[in-house]
Amino acid sequence: MGPGETADGELPRRVAARAVLAVLDQGRALDAALLPLLEPLSDPRDRALARRLSHGVLRDWPALDWLIGRLVEKPLKGRNRSLHFLLAVALHELRDGREPDHAVVHAAVAAARSLLGQRMTGLVNGVLRNFGRQREALLAELPTSPIFRFGYPGWLVKRIENDWGESTEAVLAAGNEPPPLWLRVNRRRVSRDEYLERLSQSGIDARVAQGFPDALVLTERMAVSALPGFNEGLVSVQDGAAQLAADYLELRDGQRVLDACAAPGGKSAHILEHHAVDLTALDVDGERLARVGSGLERLGLEARLLRGDAARPDEWWDGRRFDRILVDAPCSATGVIRRHPDIRWLRRDEDIDRLVAMQREIVDALWPLLEPGGILVYATCSLTKVENDEQARAFLERHADARGIDNSDRPGRSAGPGRQILPGERGCDGFYYFAARRLQQ
Amino acid sequence: MSKLKILEYPDPRLRRVARPAENVDERERKLVEDMLETMYDARGIGLAATQVDEDVRIVVMDLSDSRDEPRVFINPEILDRSGSQCYEEGCLSVPGFYAEVTRAEQVKVGALDIDGKPYELEADGLLAVCIQHEIDHLDGKMFIDYLSPLKRRMIGKKLRKQQNSREKATA
Repeated sequence: MGPGETADGELPRRVAARAVLAVLDQGRALDAALLPLLEPLSDPRDRALARRLSHGVLRDWPALDWLIGRLVEKPLKGRNRSLHFLLAVALHELRDGREPDHAVVHAAVAAARSLLGQRMTGLVNGVLRNFGRQREALLAELPTSPIFRFGYPGWLVKRIENDWGESTEAVLAAGNEPPPLWLRVNRRRVSRDEYLERLSQSGIDARVAQGFPDALVLTERMAVSALPGFNEGLVSVQDGAAQLAADYLELRDGQRVLDACAAPGGKSAHILEHHAVDLTALDVDGERLARVGSGLERLGLEARLLRGDAARPDEWWDGRRFDRILVDAPCSATGVIRRHPDIRWLRRDEDIDRLVAMQREIVDALWPLLEPGGILVYATCSLTKVENDEQARAFLERHADARGIDNSDRPGRSAGPGRQILPGERGCDGFYYFAARRLQQ
Repeated sequence: MSKLKILEYPDPRLRRVARPAENVDERERKLVEDMLETMYDARGIGLAATQVDEDVRIVVMDLSDSRDEPRVFINPEILDRSGSQCYEEGCLSVPGFYAEVTRAEQVKVGALDIDGKPYELEADGLLAVCIQHEIDHLDGKMFIDYLSPLKRRMIGKKLRKQQNSREKATA
């Protein structure tokens, strides 16, 4: 056998189970947990499988956890804890039915053997076969609340119900749909229609999206490096909703622009593709800021990279005001759960208040840096009203020299003084935008 | 560029302590290129020169999903470490095995870049784990050394069996 290659597919299942454990028991981000675990899987299909299974289990955790509770007599603790997650992977597979049941059971038993030796294989085999026998009855008993039907923690369901009422189920369901691949064409290098033509010559299906002037949506997901002209900087990957920032800023050549929470740098790049502005890309994390630089380099763009805390301009500001400020604020990221199924389990209800306070601190600290007549755009990839409409409304109340700008012609729905795109709407991530102009005084 | 062969445990060459690079020249740059190609081909996130049977203190890494953010560490040294974290680690030289290893949570690293210029880096989380794992390789150390001797022997036995059956298959 080659490295990491397994005849029975036990290794990708073990990797998926381990990654889920890292998220749920250790509070680690799924991507960071998966990266080192995927390394020993040499077959791309195994890697894709481990990724798909870990995502699937996190999206359906309450139901899987409930089923295990019904099927296992004593809770799996200590060194047997890993079996709990292995069973969750297998039950998820038995429910989704992509693989024949016997293959799923076989792989799970083999995975249990390589984790803990022979002693627990009987339990795994027994539990999964019992599920097969009692399947209908068990699933009929499964609680029907949104927590179990859509796989979210109760506090988040409550918040979404409170904020979005009858759209709740659509929002929860959208968080379980893998996103389409959105591209942003570098309009400095090539027009969107020209690039669409190049894609079609390469046999890649894509469509334009109304209201998103630089965007193309691919019909099927593919490796980014296989996109024509990617390395030459003709195109980037960026969700449609994130591409609206440049429009909200109403840019003109020659302006001084601050992107205040710039990493990973997609919006900075878009701004520079749009207009020849003098851009400062600020981020508090030096590591991530370096990535902004390498991203801009690929696209042939240049910005001033500045490491600093957006809430403490006295530590980094040179005293020259900006014509435009983009605050893509740290947020609960509840709008991008469809990309990161781990977010729903890593966030806690009490995080939200802390984030709201941080967002307020940042916009208040940056507002005086804006030239009178200039525009500040506040954005989040969240869908809680406290971070969005209420944050924007309170901002306007605190600042007499701020006027909200009417953007009602842009995608999304009106939400307080800004606009909300709910996840899945027009194929986008969940996003909020609010723009304010500073009055001349 | 050319792809290099990755040594597998329990190959004794993985136990050598690598020598510092005296300068960063054509030879070192070529090795970095080859190591990056080898790492990308094996879909790894980090590779130390020791793993490709080169006796020099060079590490390459890429932790990005898009596989386009190569990092190069020549003569890397850990200048400072703090905290502790436990990560499940794997390794291209120990295919198919994982183990939990406790390491420093934050490290400060000094190294030379591809142009021979010194730089420093403060890392935490996975980046910190990966740097410590790769520098261990340069010192002839592997992640399975953090396991009990019994477990390590078991892994060695299993790997030898895999290697034998692979040799038979290609014979």
